[in-house]
Amino acid sequence: MGPLHELLDQSSLFLQQLVNGITLGGVYALIAVGYTMVYGVIQLINFAHGEIYMLGAFLAYTMVTVLHLPFFVAFILTILLCSCFGILLDFIAYRPLRQAPRLAALITAIGMSIFLQNLALMIWGSQIKSFPRELLPAVFSRPALVLGEITVSWLQIFILTITVLFMAILHFIIHRTQVGTAMRAISHDKVTSALMGIGVNRVISFTFAVGSAMGGMAGILVGLYYNAIFPTMGYIAGIKAFAAAVLGGIGNVPGAMLGGGVLGIAEVLGAGYISSEYRDGISYAVMIAVILFKPSGLIGKPTGDKV
Amino acid sequence: MSRRTRPALPPGLIMPLIFLLALLLPWIPLGPSSNYVLRVLTTAVLYMILALGLNIVPGFTGLLDLGYVGFYGIGAYTSGLLAIHYDLSFWWILPLAALNGALWGILLGAPTLRLTGDYFAIVTFGFSELVVLVIRNELWLTRGPMGLPGISPPSLLGHTLTKDWEFFYLVLFLLAVVLFVVTRLEDSRLGRAWFAIRGDEIAAQCCGINLIRYKVTAFAISASIGAMGGAFYAKWFKFIHPDMFKFWESILILCLIVFGGMGSIRGTMLGALVLIPLTEILRAVLPQELFSARYLIYGLTLVLMMRWRPAGLIPFERAQEALARRAEARIRSRRGGEQGP
Amino acid sequence: MKTILRVARLSKSFGGISALQDIDMEAREGQIVGIIGPNGAGKTTLFNCLSSLYHPSAGQIFFGDRPIAPEFSSKKKKLVAACALVFLFLSLLWTPIFWSLFVPGALFKVETVMLGLLLLGVRFFTFRGLRRFEIWAWGLIFLFLAADICLALFLGGRPLSQDRFLGTSLPLGWVGTPWALAALPFSLFFGLQLCTAPARRLFGFKIGPDAVTRLGMARTFQNIRLFFHLSVLDNVKIGAHCTMRSGIWRSLFRTRRQRAEEQGAEQEALNLLRFVGLEQRALVLADALAYGEQRRLEIARALASRPRLLLLDEPAAGMNPQESADLIRLIRRIREKGVTVLIIEHDMKVMMNLADIIYVLDYGRMIAQGTPEQIRTDPKVIEAYLGGGVHAPA
Repeated sequence: MGPLHELLDQSSLFLQQLVNGITLGGVYALIAVGYTMVYGVIQLINFAHGEIYMLGAFLAYTMVTVLHLPFFVAFILTILLCSCFGILLDFIAYRPLRQAPRLAALITAIGMSIFLQNLALMIWGSQIKSFPRELLPAVFSRPALVLGEITVSWLQIFILTITVLFMAILHFIIHRTQVGTAMRAISHDKVTSALMGIGVNRVISFTFAVGSAMGGMAGILVGLYYNAIFPTMGYIAGIKAFAAAVLGGIGNVPGAMLGGGVLGIAEVLGAGYISSEYRDGISYAVMIAVILFKPSGLIGKPTGDKV
Repeated sequence: MSRRTRPALPPGLIMPLIFLLALLLPWIPLGPSSNYVLRVLTTAVLYMILALGLNIVPGFTGLLDLGYVGFYGIGAYTSGLLAIHYDLSFWWILPLAALNGALWGILLGAPTLRLTGDYFAIVTFGFSELVVLVIRNELWLTRGPMGLPGISPPSLLGHTLTKDWEFFYLVLFLLAVVLFVVTRLEDSRLGRAWFAIRGDEIAAQCCGINLIRYKVTAFAISASIGAMGGAFYAKWFKFIHPDMFKFWESILILCLIVFGGMGSIRGTMLGALVLIPLTEILRAVLPQELFSARYLIYGLTLVLMMRWRPAGLIPFERAQEALARRAEARIRSRRGGEQGP
Repeated sequence: MKTILRVARLSKSFGGISALQDIDMEAREGQIVGIIGPNGAGKTTLFNCLSSLYHPSAGQIFFGDRPIAPEFSSKKKKLVAACALVFLFLSLLWTPIFWSLFVPGALFKVETVMLGLLLLGVRFFTFRGLRRFEIWAWGLIFLFLAADICLALFLGGRPLSQDRFLGTSLPLGWVGTPWALAALPFSLFFGLQLCTAPARRLFGFKIGPDAVTRLGMARTFQNIRLFFHLSVLDNVKIGAHCTMRSGIWRSLFRTRRQRAEEQGAEQEALNLLRFVGLEQRALVLADALAYGEQRRLEIARALASRPRLLLLDEPAAGMNPQESADLIRLIRRIREKGVTVLIIEHDMKVMMNLADIIYVLDYGRMIAQGTPEQIRTDPKVIEAYLGGGVHAPA
């Protein structure tokens, strides 16, 4: 097995790629949660979610560079702003269309996405921005672990910790709290939930808030990790995160985590070993294949139409 | 139908009349800017063609197709490559591009049209992105980001088209062809099957309509019209580049039909006629860096239309009422024929 | 009288909850057959199974002598089907393996894997498209086999390509191995999917609702499902879809045949609208019709497909006594046209007046059958409708 040997010789490179892939996967998972939760509750693909992620990155950037806030303060403020923004988005764009056909809501979502992206383009310009290193906590750029040729930076650890932590919190919210129960009830039947005394709109707003907070957070983390913030970042990342959500089974939070991880690893390995030009193509291909062959995702449940 | 006032002109005459007026347009003296106006109008008519093609899928069949620009790009590159490598005449390229578009439409549609609406939208979106990626990266075929320059202009009976009015006539001719196809199909067994699918898939199935078959047909026809538009575009612009076929174009075309009225042929054309010149006005008025954000307006249009007038300027229902009026005229004339002599 | 519909031991369950259990019933030509039962008894589920919107979990449905949802009863047939599945599975998986016999190391070459994947895809969709396992499915398998052999021979004689992968600097074998490894689960997955999808079709195969309508069984819906944005006339013409033939080209060029067909369909649609009393409303949109008119339009649309069997799902729901009386007359006239009618109805008066034979469903089981007189006095029926007090009133 000649090729395999060569592959093993390159194992440190491979492992490094794996670490990078997992980090990327964590970020995808954070964004994917927003898609999954909103889809689970109101069966809408919230195209504008990618834009919230982009806004998160830009808001944090503005706070750090223009307002000179400390990074962690900016981090928390951005998350709060993003969740407010999510609620606003739902209130302005989607709530009036709750009873409308799904096509209308989907078109609105696309319209919002385009609108926000171009708004960002007008405000911040099309140049790629990056967080100035000196304004960030110095620890981020230091390596945390060095094993031979593999390095894991503190930033990567920070990203992974935050991802896992928030996923755990989210899982707790959905399965152990009253709001979570209400969310699950609404995802089954909106009308009956309303009749049972659940404030449907309030719960949907909450869903948007949580999803957007996660999305905004992912935006900051990616801005740090790749050191690049630009108005169209939400569009590609959004689609990839959606692919991750679909891969895991849309409407399913652990699924989003799994899907994000798998997609992140596949993307980094694919870019490394197959073709870096088709880096984005890999996510699209994975997404198309999953939708075609197993639309319910890796751990989702199939759904049927009612007659 | 008796409630509505009948148009003064017989409905069959309106379209030819508009075409006649359009044919006279290049000869209106507008001074130095007349070529510019003609180019804008040619763009508008090209987008009418594209919008009419896209309209078949979301408008007639009720499925959101976000990958339309993929077929546009396929058509453009088919046209460009055939022109450069084989020096084929435009009149061969046009059907070949349409065929290639239809082929890809079937290849993409056959497996994906089983999906529910949202997933279908996402898959078509992925497809169009993949098309751009392939065009960008397969340098040996498409020269990738360097673009494809030097596409020869079309010729007719040995005469090479170069002037703006010639291209305007050519695109009008294409529009006439597409309009012929679309209106004929609208009022046929095929069109009714599409409308049924848009209305209620389960009921359509129970009326004996094979969903996949009719959806794939719609998708293939839509794709081939898109590819035809692309073929014209390549021959007109003489240079194509992968960035011309990005997702934004799909959104723009979708915006045209949402604005004009999904499912209504006249609405679709009206949408293109209003929004495309508007874009050009924006190009003239706005500074360069703001012009790149023009899609903001399209996004806003989509949102506002869905909120306040989801059926568009000329709703689908109006188009159906027009069809009913046509049926009424048909029935009346048949009765008259029976009783008359 | 010939039997037009036969249902044998039909069961349908939704994730453990059984909506129908061991239903046996029969309809003879020219009869009006009624199905009654309290809410949630499974009446609509039964209709959905008949019109193939649902696929029954077990049992058989025969329309005339055509099976709509059969169950392979004989063990021999099951064995044949199982063998076919194994063969199908092998024919999918073996492409790369087979090639490696001819081309050394083909298993690890990018081109073979990609080509193999492509072929797998083609096969996958071809087989998925199969409605049931017919003789030409075997033909297809052999065709694929031949293609494999030809390709392997063709590839065996020459080098696959330069030793670099798609213009990158990576050595080919390097890339090939992960690709092959990645392809393996894919082919396994395809194979499994293929095995389950045709398996479902083999052991209880699918006929789409459209095919059922083409066979001559039309239906209406409990919650009206019209094409609300189309004109009344077009609704009926869509119902006549399967009686017409013209496709794209004929429609594009409006051939004489197409025009004659359209004219005929239009005339017939108008006749049907007159039959149900909607002739004056032919050119308005279906949206604008009153509730009772919409119900009648649904019947006209169903009749337009020239059915031999008409399934009516609660046609009198929400009608006043006058309208139900009209409806009874209409259904009698439909029967006089030679159409067998199967009808679900809550309104006992309508049912007792109309039906030749009545089946009673309760909790997914058939609890009684017989003429209206028999049903009226059947203690089990009375208990289901009045007694017990276990379930909500109908």
